[in-house]
Amino acid sequence: MTAAIEPIVGRYVTVQLNDGPRRVYFEEAGQGCPVICLHTAGADTRQWRHLMNDAEVTNQNRLIAFDMPWHGKSLPPEGFETQEYLLTTEAYIETVLAVCDALGLEKPILAGCSMGGRIALQLAALHPDRFAGFIAIEASDFQPAWYDIDWFHRPDAHGGEMGAALVSANISPYAPVAERWNTLWMFMQSGPGVFRGDLSFYTKDDSLIARLGQIDTAKTPVHLIVGAYDLTCTPEDAARTAKAIPGATLAVMDELGHFPMSEHPKGFRPFFLAALGKMTN
Amino acid sequence: MLSNLQSMQDQLNNCAHLRRIGRLFSETVQLIVDGEEFYLTFEKGALVDITQGPSRKTPWRFSFRTDCEALEKHWQAVPEPGFHDVFGLVKIGRGQIEGDILSLVKNLRFFKEFLALPRKGNTQ
Repeated sequence: MTAAIEPIVGRYVTVQLNDGPRRVYFEEAGQGCPVICLHTAGADTRQWRHLMNDAEVTNQNRLIAFDMPWHGKSLPPEGFETQEYLLTTEAYIETVLAVCDALGLEKPILAGCSMGGRIALQLAALHPDRFAGFIAIEASDFQPAWYDIDWFHRPDAHGGEMGAALVSANISPYAPVAERWNTLWMFMQSGPGVFRGDLSFYTKDDSLIARLGQIDTAKTPVHLIVGAYDLTCTPEDAARTAKAIPGATLAVMDELGHFPMSEHPKGFRPFFLAALGKMTN
Repeated sequence: MLSNLQSMQDQLNNCAHLRRIGRLFSETVQLIVDGEEFYLTFEKGALVDITQGPSRKTPWRFSFRTDCEALEKHWQAVPEPGFHDVFGLVKIGRGQIEGDILSLVKNLRFFKEFLALPRKGNTQ
């Protein structure tokens, strides 16, 4: 039997944030243009593994994905046992910039999905000089919750399993069964209260709406991608957001949902390659 | 609709994995399809009784209201966007959930997979 060792390499880096250090796990594959890849709420870098194993993507691009603190292999901060995890726009931006600095990345492309797409657009508005372009996947200006985020952190039920059952609504029926369940597994594994804390950022902070108009796509291109089966960020939500950013472009994926790189990598691949092709200002 | 529900009852009660997922679910669910009421009584993940309404005396934990055409679309092998999920039906205005929604969310995978049992190509 031939061992199938993948080209993905994982390491740890400690970054210094305003309220203390964070030991962050990151993975990378490929060479060339650096592309920072941000996972969705309640998940981790594994969502990007298919693209990181795709030679057509990595032969000209260095894909780097990291687990946000509290997620995947990145531990929560010291003292977390008495803290309530609630992600904020400010902490998210600080973390992304700190990781880019720690890895010595100069003007990487930023690709983020869902809450990662939301923060990509925040960075496009607030720190455009730090990046070469922004790929905002399943991203919109604001999504108020139609559910109660407290459902997902309670002592009498498994928040991860409930979260997975909820987000399964956003996965396309075209997704291969195995990848559907691999995608949901990450939600089932997320730490207590982590999905809730991510959703707090995603469903309560509407500060991006007023900032969209200040994004200058002539300097840093912005491309949005959205799946037709995404109930959380619908094509209408993405279109509204793209319309508010002068010069932004949008692609709609008819057969994909909210986790395209994870739920249906073959279906997502051409859209991601096309997006990378647009990041060439 | 009753024959559909009876078929779903057989499928569920012969599906070991779904019975295991629903092993803590012992509730009555009101299902309303095109205004026709059904009361589905589950015991430890088995569907033990289907009673046709209307009834104002049958207590239920949560209720799901939809229409026959929406369910038919939900049961297609590859449903259209919105018709592919219970909450999708709600989002596009073809479904309505009432009652103890937390009870539904705690048992969401079970209820979703139960409601999708007639889907074409479903191997459960």
